[in-house]
Amino acid sequence: MAAFDPQFLWNGLVVGSIIAVAALGLTLIFGILNFINIAYGDYMALGAYVAFAANVQYDLNIVVAALLGMVGMAVGALVLDKLVFERFRSRSAIVLLVVSIGLAFVLRNLIRIVWGTGNRRFSGPIEAAPQVLGVRMLPDQVAILVISVAILAGTYVLLRRTRIGIAMRAASDDTDLARVRGIDTERLVTYVWLAGGAIAGIAGILLGLDAQIRPNMGFTSLIPIFAAVILGGIGDPIGAVAGGYAIGVTQELSVMVIPSEYKPAIGLLLLIIGLLSRPEGLFGEATR
Amino acid sequence: MAVGSLVLLVATIMGIYSLLAIGLNMHWGDTGLLNFAHAAFFAIGAYTSAILTTQPETGLLATRTVGASLPIPVGIVAGTALAAVAGVLIAVTSVRLEGDYLAMVTLSSAELIRLVIHNEGWLTSGAQSLKGIQRPLEGAVPLRYDVFYFLLVVAVLAASYLVFRRLAGSPFGRVLHAVREDEDVPLALGKDTTWFKLKSFGLGAAIAGLAGGLWAHYVYAITPSMFLPNITFTIWAAVIIGGAGSYLGAIVGTVFIVGIRQITRFVPSDVPFASDLPYIRLVVIGVLLIAVLYYRPYGLLGDEERMLAGTEEGAD
Repeated sequence: MAAFDPQFLWNGLVVGSIIAVAALGLTLIFGILNFINIAYGDYMALGAYVAFAANVQYDLNIVVAALLGMVGMAVGALVLDKLVFERFRSRSAIVLLVVSIGLAFVLRNLIRIVWGTGNRRFSGPIEAAPQVLGVRMLPDQVAILVISVAILAGTYVLLRRTRIGIAMRAASDDTDLARVRGIDTERLVTYVWLAGGAIAGIAGILLGLDAQIRPNMGFTSLIPIFAAVILGGIGDPIGAVAGGYAIGVTQELSVMVIPSEYKPAIGLLLLIIGLLSRPEGLFGEATR
Repeated sequence: MAVGSLVLLVATIMGIYSLLAIGLNMHWGDTGLLNFAHAAFFAIGAYTSAILTTQPETGLLATRTVGASLPIPVGIVAGTALAAVAGVLIAVTSVRLEGDYLAMVTLSSAELIRLVIHNEGWLTSGAQSLKGIQRPLEGAVPLRYDVFYFLLVVAVLAASYLVFRRLAGSPFGRVLHAVREDEDVPLALGKDTTWFKLKSFGLGAAIAGLAGGLWAHYVYAITPSMFLPNITFTIWAAVIIGGAGSYLGAIVGTVFIVGIRQITRFVPSDVPFASDLPYIRLVVIGVLLIAVLYYRPYGLLGDEERMLAGTEEGAD
């Protein structure tokens, strides 16, 4: 077993930030719509590719490109809802889950047709990594951490302080009760797709900034995201964020103990331990 | 002659994938379990049989140090059994969970198994292909070998179809259907529903393992990339399009999906978009899956009552 190296902790915080943002988006959608969207990883990839197109193919500034990716995916999620999910709203959660598998096939392969199967990168100089307290902090990593915290804080304020956010939380707790109390749940669905889509888009962009942009990048990162969502208690935004950081940090620290090829297994391991000990999630109540 | 070989190749793949669909139909069609680990059971069957029936690698670049040179039937039976064990083990951790939790845990477990196959080169040859897998009775059968293998697959498929259809209609199958419709009812009648779910998981995984063995001994060489979650999703699409709950539907759905995937391989390369065909056909399968769920929720041959059970439409 190697000595404790703060570098792994830093890497874990960066990876954890990305998982936390992605898990937040997925759990928001689940909270209102009550089904697991398997295509969520492909929403992330699509957001990254829209930003990539703006950044590299149209030579726009990365910040503008990222905003376009977010907005694009927010609108995209809404359009996909109108085209696909809306027709199935009255069906069971399982049917919606299977529908999202079909949608995932379609999106991932459309990405391959439009952008090819190779690895892509956002344009930008390769910058030196300054040492802070003995830890190499890449400028991109610092950006990922700052943007993630801003997104998480922004969403927290949205959920706690705005009428829409409070309505979302109410509907997430009990859709029927919310409807009886006069909340227009169909309008909420619109807002949730916009917010969830934008969050998926930025999560994909952050993932692309940290590593590379590939057609199946979102799909292959679904497992730690699922693990974070379940650990946090499915449908619970704060739990999802805590779960995301827990998994990111544990995963990167695990490298000190186990071979790094097995890093991706940590999410699953935490998931199984979590499910066996607290089936309702870290902060959840036994409501399901 | 060449066309005949291609037809036999496609038909053999259809047969092997149909076995996967039969297993998934036991999980989802009969019992209502969301199993997303099917590709892993397929991989376990294939790798177990391949490892048990080949010699360890030799030479400078050899990575695999394990191999037993056992007879092929032993390998296939062991692969089937080990896939069943893996199915039960995965189910033990997760089968009590609500449907969507089960989906996520099984999908994750399958990826974990693929990770092990990918990384443990001493056992599986790792990311490289495990080569030199023998074909059963090659050179010893009096008819063309691809005809023989196709007939072998058809025989296994026919036997499996009869066994599973019979199981579904037996008292055991009726408990599974009851679990699918409303778990509280068999529970109230004193049935240990968890135990029934474990058995269903084991049986469905076993037949996926059997399919894996038949696959390994057909293609000579296997790699981890043959067992991506895409296989699982393709089989799901086949079962849904064929009609969940019907074993004949599972086979028809598989023939249909594999047909789309394979026949488009023979499109000449000078038509527009030919290089994108592998992706276009997956787009088509995705669209078809959604369209079938919308226009014909019970699939081509499925049971309408089965699809409505447990949904809001069924409750009205």
